[in-house]
Amino acid sequence: MQDISLHLLDIIENSVRAGAKCIRVRIINDVQENILRFIIEDDGCGMDSETLLMAQDPFYTSKGERTKQVGLGIPLFKQNAELCNGSFTITSEPCLGTVLKADFEADNIDRLPLGNLKDTLLGSIIGHQDVDFYVNLISRDKGKEHSFHFDTEVIKEELGGIPLTYPDVIEYIEQSLIEGIQNTNMEDV
Amino acid sequence: MKTLADLKKIREKAQEEMKLRGSNIRIKIVVGMGTSGIAMGAREVMKTFLEEISQRNLTDVLVTQTGEKGLSSMEPVVDVIEEGKDKVTYGIMTPEKARKVVVEHIVNGRIVTDYVVSTGS
Repeated sequence: MQDISLHLLDIIENSVRAGAKCIRVRIINDVQENILRFIIEDDGCGMDSETLLMAQDPFYTSKGERTKQVGLGIPLFKQNAELCNGSFTITSEPCLGTVLKADFEADNIDRLPLGNLKDTLLGSIIGHQDVDFYVNLISRDKGKEHSFHFDTEVIKEELGGIPLTYPDVIEYIEQSLIEGIQNTNMEDV
Repeated sequence: MKTLADLKKIREKAQEEMKLRGSNIRIKIVVGMGTSGIAMGAREVMKTFLEEISQRNLTDVLVTQTGEKGLSSMEPVVDVIEEGKDKVTYGIMTPEKARKVVVEHIVNGRIVTDYVVSTGS
């Protein structure tokens, strides 16, 4: 993966496949603490402790029907976080959901750029209309905090039955995300 | 700033249109968004479809993302599903090819055979 937002997309797809109805994505960029933090929380089917351990092993995949028995999504994300002095944890509870947390040392030379966060979120939100997304971006620098909240449940309620792929809605969501990403200075992280 | 009032306007406009044209989804585009698809550029392909729908004002097309289906060497993979017709699977997609699929297949109903990797249910 060329950037962290692609990892994020991969993790979101995992959550969807776990049957999540609500996915919370939190990204915190704390300049003084020198941390770029990702927290992805879902209410999907979760994993027991054994599966959880295996999910971090590249030679494990939950997709039994597959011919190639590898799953690189989580191991690659973990490797990229740990490579730049960060940390990576997943906690999960069967039937309740999964929380994934990845910390990156922000100024580490090996840290991948955040990349195109807007396209990751836009595709995920519109590509999974039956999943509610709650996005929270926070940037902290010199005692100031900028925060952006985006909640698709409110949007869907307001739209009645109009699908998210309706042209004006795509534009609305894209513009909202662009504004939020700019206001929290995440376009060039 | 985008506000909820903007959404209300969109809803009214869309409802007005639906009264005239009906609200049927005619065609479904499914973009494979598994790990290998993502690594091969599926996000950009997805983005291109959304862009085209928005610019061409296509109100009867649905775009969704899905996981891998075992066509890793053909990623990014896109299915086009139309009611009453065989599913068409396009492979090794790029934003340029996605644009062509929209113009030819989605708008004009002509399958872009050069990009097809499989057909059938």
